[in-house]
Amino acid sequence: MTFSRRHFFRIAGTGLVGSYFADVLDPRLLFGATTAPAPKLRNTAKSCIFIFLAGAPSQTDMWDLKEGTWTPSDLAPTSYGDVRWPQGLLPKTAEHLGKLAIVRSGLAWAAVHQLGQTWAQIARNPGGATGAIAPHIGAVVALESQAARTTADVLPGFIALNSGSIPTCGYLPAKYAPFGVQTAESGLSTLAHAEGASRFSNRWGLLHQVDTNRTTGALGKPSLDMNDFYDQSKVLMDAPGINTIFSFADAEHTRYGASTFGDSLIVARNLVASRKGTRFVQTTMGGWDHHSDIYDHAAAQSLYVQCAELDAALGALFTDLTAMNLLDETLVVIVSEFGRTVGPLSNQGGRDHYLRNSTVFAGGGTRGGRILGKTDAQGSTVVDYGWSAARDVRTEDVACTIYSALGIDYTTVRTDDPLGRGFEYVPTAKDGLYAPIEELW
Amino acid sequence: MKRGLAVLLLAFQILSAPAYARRRAVGQPSNGSLPVANFIDTEIGAKLQQNGIAPAQRSGDTEFLRRITLDLTGTIPSPADVDAFLADGRTDKRARKIDDLLRSDAFVDRWTLWFGDLVQNVQVSDNAREYYLGKNAYYAWIKDSIRTAKPYDAMVRELLAGEGDSFQSGVANYVVRQLQRNGPPQDTYDNLATHSAEKFLGIPVLCISCHSGPSHLELVNIYLRGKTRDDFWKMAAFFSRAAARGTRYTDPANPNANLIRYDVVSNANGSYRLNTTDGNKSPRAPAPGQSDTVTPAFLLTGEQPRAGEAYRAAYGRMLTADRQFARATVNYLWKEMFGRGLVEPVNGFDLARLTVQPSHPALLEALADELISKGFSLREMLRTIASSNAYQLSSSYGGTAPDQSYFARRLPRRLSAEVLLDAITTATAVPIQLPVQGMANVTKAMQLPDPLDARRSPASQFLDRFGRGNRDDVARTNDSAISQALSLLNDPIVTNRVRRTNNSTVQKVLAATNDPGTVADQLYLATLSRRPTAAERTIAINYLRGGTLAERAEDLQFALLNTLEFLFV
Repeated sequence: MTFSRRHFFRIAGTGLVGSYFADVLDPRLLFGATTAPAPKLRNTAKSCIFIFLAGAPSQTDMWDLKEGTWTPSDLAPTSYGDVRWPQGLLPKTAEHLGKLAIVRSGLAWAAVHQLGQTWAQIARNPGGATGAIAPHIGAVVALESQAARTTADVLPGFIALNSGSIPTCGYLPAKYAPFGVQTAESGLSTLAHAEGASRFSNRWGLLHQVDTNRTTGALGKPSLDMNDFYDQSKVLMDAPGINTIFSFADAEHTRYGASTFGDSLIVARNLVASRKGTRFVQTTMGGWDHHSDIYDHAAAQSLYVQCAELDAALGALFTDLTAMNLLDETLVVIVSEFGRTVGPLSNQGGRDHYLRNSTVFAGGGTRGGRILGKTDAQGSTVVDYGWSAARDVRTEDVACTIYSALGIDYTTVRTDDPLGRGFEYVPTAKDGLYAPIEELW
Repeated sequence: MKRGLAVLLLAFQILSAPAYARRRAVGQPSNGSLPVANFIDTEIGAKLQQNGIAPAQRSGDTEFLRRITLDLTGTIPSPADVDAFLADGRTDKRARKIDDLLRSDAFVDRWTLWFGDLVQNVQVSDNAREYYLGKNAYYAWIKDSIRTAKPYDAMVRELLAGEGDSFQSGVANYVVRQLQRNGPPQDTYDNLATHSAEKFLGIPVLCISCHSGPSHLELVNIYLRGKTRDDFWKMAAFFSRAAARGTRYTDPANPNANLIRYDVVSNANGSYRLNTTDGNKSPRAPAPGQSDTVTPAFLLTGEQPRAGEAYRAAYGRMLTADRQFARATVNYLWKEMFGRGLVEPVNGFDLARLTVQPSHPALLEALADELISKGFSLREMLRTIASSNAYQLSSSYGGTAPDQSYFARRLPRRLSAEVLLDAITTATAVPIQLPVQGMANVTKAMQLPDPLDARRSPASQFLDRFGRGNRDDVARTNDSAISQALSLLNDPIVTNRVRRTNNSTVQKVLAATNDPGTVADQLYLATLSRRPTAAERTIAINYLRGGTLAERAEDLQFALLNTLEFLFV
């Protein structure tokens, strides 16, 4: 078989190079490309709160509830219209079902945690041709919002709360990397200088007098990146009221469920409300890798414990965003790297890794109160994809959706990449192989 | 197709983007060619000359001393080290310094940490829970191996064939680390083959653990494109007689923890079967007419175990005897010393492109020869690298520095998390206590057995911010971040240590003198391991005279700790 160079690009771009599951490849994706019309961008959201449930929650116990002999009665399945809902797990979220659009036809590419997590955050195969240079979706959002920034926009465009080490800016300039914050009631401990402002001013002045490498760049680009971060730090320290965004009172901490995850949603809310330049906020909640004892009330991270924490925080977030008139301009997306096995539990009393999963959207101009896609009785396969593309929803499609909502052309091909091959925000989206889920609007 | 592919391959050659200088760098490249101290300079120099690129000038004594001390031992030179080195008039003083450092205890700490990163020694990972007892046993074995200068190939063979109680026998943890508990045993064999090939041979075989190479790996790895999943299975089959028998372990101090201690053994029988449909890999099944039992064969040579030879021992013998093992090893060491491998990424060797993938193909082979001829001695290899003029070039370069792949100058990199924390506590002379479960506290982050140790210490967040990673699914990084700058400016780890209390450097300097010039000299020496230039000294003296000397001395060390020169090497 003879391949053209163009075909190579396409193969690489579909995220199939180095794919870990050859058997899920659809050959139509390789060669049956249709050219998409110029994209119509929704541009209905100003910012995005990206909630990553790391470890992969059980979709058939939560967003796509499937009842069977295995279902404990205290999941309390309840009907809201034709939606069956685990009232015992997510009662507060249920109050906001009218705002949520749940996509049940998701399919992950790989059932390996790190791989799947990275894939979902860079919208491509990490092992593929552009995986190693790819920025996080949030870094692209930060870059794209750079031109519209004003002097009031003192916060980084991309902030990651309690997310540990996640993908950063890839080959893009380091200033688009996520500003990582570990939330605390008192806010950012490093925003204020212990010896006071005037002493700090002296020290800052002295530093810039003695440190000529900051202007000559003699130590190279990595050192100048660090210098940029010093400049950004100074802007943050000087701006009034920044720490009120990152701090919270006891009462709010309690209202959001008295958890670290809840704290991160308080700060996420504050960030979008502050309108100080942050357009993408990621928060990560781990503990969902329920290989064993998923329904065991005695287990430290049982589904009950995990959902209680998630539910309290989500309920409070949707209540607040609605009350503050922020939900319409804030796209909330809840993702995970894959799903969990369906039907009866394993002999460990748990659920293992599974490619089928669900993704939840709310706000940012999307229409809630809806389910997109339908799975079969146990949730093992899709019987209706629920969107016009009539195929599985991939993490690349979720990225297109976020970009479109924020008014970013998801078919963009940058020409500044170090490979000199053109860097696609979402590989092959320009050929129509991935697309926003238009049915959300 | 061929031309298109060639263009792409060329593109891969320049994967590492040219360092662009936004501002003009100071210093001048040398006019001439690179003087030859050993074969490294011949190869580096030849490529520079071919491309009309001048090397930077030789580093000065203080630049060299700080660099070699940090690169070999992860510590900054003390003022006494600096003075002794500057006062040494012997022509071979750099070689002598390299020898001293190779013999030091700090060398053992720094390369124990490196190897712990490579084999990912952690207390808790995504796949398995080694617990602190297993992690500490593993650490002790690594440290002892580095301390006693065990040949590197022997280390790797011991690991690959490791047996015993995982809480006692360090090497048993090599298998434990790769246990895949949510899948069939073949998943674990695959992990072991993948990890050993990636970490010890630098070959990314993970790709062919799920699918064959053709029509997948054209753009990624030409060598692996020609390999099949069947070839991978044969490699993984070397681990099919390894077994980790778990028994419940109850820690009296932590009775509710779900702990397992493993007895890692080598069974006399057992084979890799193609009979799985679940777990973490696509189904394994024989091709029509093929047996469902896989016979072990080494991916690179097809060699099979000898009659009666234990499978894992055979694998270790073949892997360490293969020339690719030597290539991958020298490439890892080169990256530690130069900040960039001759092949990048270091776990991305393409054996079909050995003449074009490395920035210096002949040098890579010569280094491999050297490692083999020196009996896989890490110290000897590092001595050879450190003795080259290429390694000893200055970081200063006039005009726009050429792409780092030419190694025309030293490209400074940010101190890694542990090194930076230790540099701060050393420069300020205010130590830190870092708790390690099951061991005595340590005062150097370089001595933490696992980067996630000291979880509850105030240093933990600091180390996280500076990218220590977790040796599991978060890789170590030397990237910068806004949280790092904020930390260096405002974290009590820095601001408390420059105070004139706790017998700090500032306190000691002030006790000895009230002469601003001497204060400046001493703080530069303690922090940047050099004396100030005349211009810097003037700035410092003027500043120190501008207010209360004691406060201003604190400010000066604070500023020096925040200079890019301190943060980079």
